Amino acid sequence: MAGFSSWLESTAISKALFGMSWLWPACESLHFIGLCVLIGGAGLLDLRLMGLFRGIAIRDVKAFMPWAIGGFVVNLITGVLFLIMQPHSYLSSGVWWSKVAFIGVAGLNAMFFETRLSKSALALSPDAAMPAALKTVGALSLFSWFAVLYCGRMLPYLGTGN
Amino acid sequence: MWFFQRLQDSEFTNWFLGSDSIWTYPTVLTLHTVGMAMLVGASIVVHLRVLQVAPGFPLDRLSGLYRIAWVGFLINLISGVVLFITEAADRVADPVFYVKLGSIGVALWLGVLIKRWLIDRPGPTTKLRAAQFLSLTAIGLWIVAIVAGRLMAYLKK
Repeated sequence: MAGFSSWLESTAISKALFGMSWLWPACESLHFIGLCVLIGGAGLLDLRLMGLFRGIAIRDVKAFMPWAIGGFVVNLITGVLFLIMQPHSYLSSGVWWSKVAFIGVAGLNAMFFETRLSKSALALSPDAAMPAALKTVGALSLFSWFAVLYCGRMLPYLGTGN
Repeated sequence: MWFFQRLQDSEFTNWFLGSDSIWTYPTVLTLHTVGMAMLVGASIVVHLRVLQVAPGFPLDRLSGLYRIAWVGFLINLISGVVLFITEAADRVADPVFYVKLGSIGVALWLGVLIKRWLIDRPGPTTKLRAAQFLSLTAIGLWIVAIVAGRLMAYLKK
């Protein structure tokens, strides 16, 4: 992994991007805006699945999801740019790998919801009590996204990042 | 000015910034980010709804999102005051800081107006057009506040 980091850092693209002094802060700003849209949209659906905002059809809460996914895509792109610019500080950091793992958990959880539960969830009456499976998926998603945020923000202060 | 300089040079600041513990500066900074996610995240969802994303979501139920936004605001007011103390003299002399505070203030005020117009007492739909303009403006102001907040970290002495 250290070899890969060194190679990536020595590439022309990594040097060129890191050489643009405005790019890093610009990506950070976009990364923050993206996280707000992602947590705002996905977090609302999570809370609904956990049983809050009862009386609102799940379909009408899920309608914000394209925006949440958009926020995620913005953060994926800016995140990859950070990685290309400074591979060592991320790939050598256990906290960064934890962040990636929590993104994986949130993603698999969302896929599980989408493929296995969403049909029956959308068929529920707006006033129905939430089944335990939906509550669990909602809580796991909300926890994972805040864990992603925590790892990202604490990255410079926790663990072995250099 | 001397007052802000004294805050910035205080024992508290030295301890808070100099400590090796993750429970001082890093944790307060992270709380500030959690508060931002709640405040700006919930606010943006409200404004998207006003702009007719998710038209089936009942307008009066947006009040639940306002509660989340206010909790986020409270977290950020408190963590923000702590962060301000540690760099008080630099910040009062930093125009970007006032851009951030100003855009937050106006964005919050626009949110309150929208709540009065569309949520607390739903009135004639003529207000909807005006509210949509306010929502678009508020989203823009939240983006300005975030960019300004990020820039402040780079303009730090």
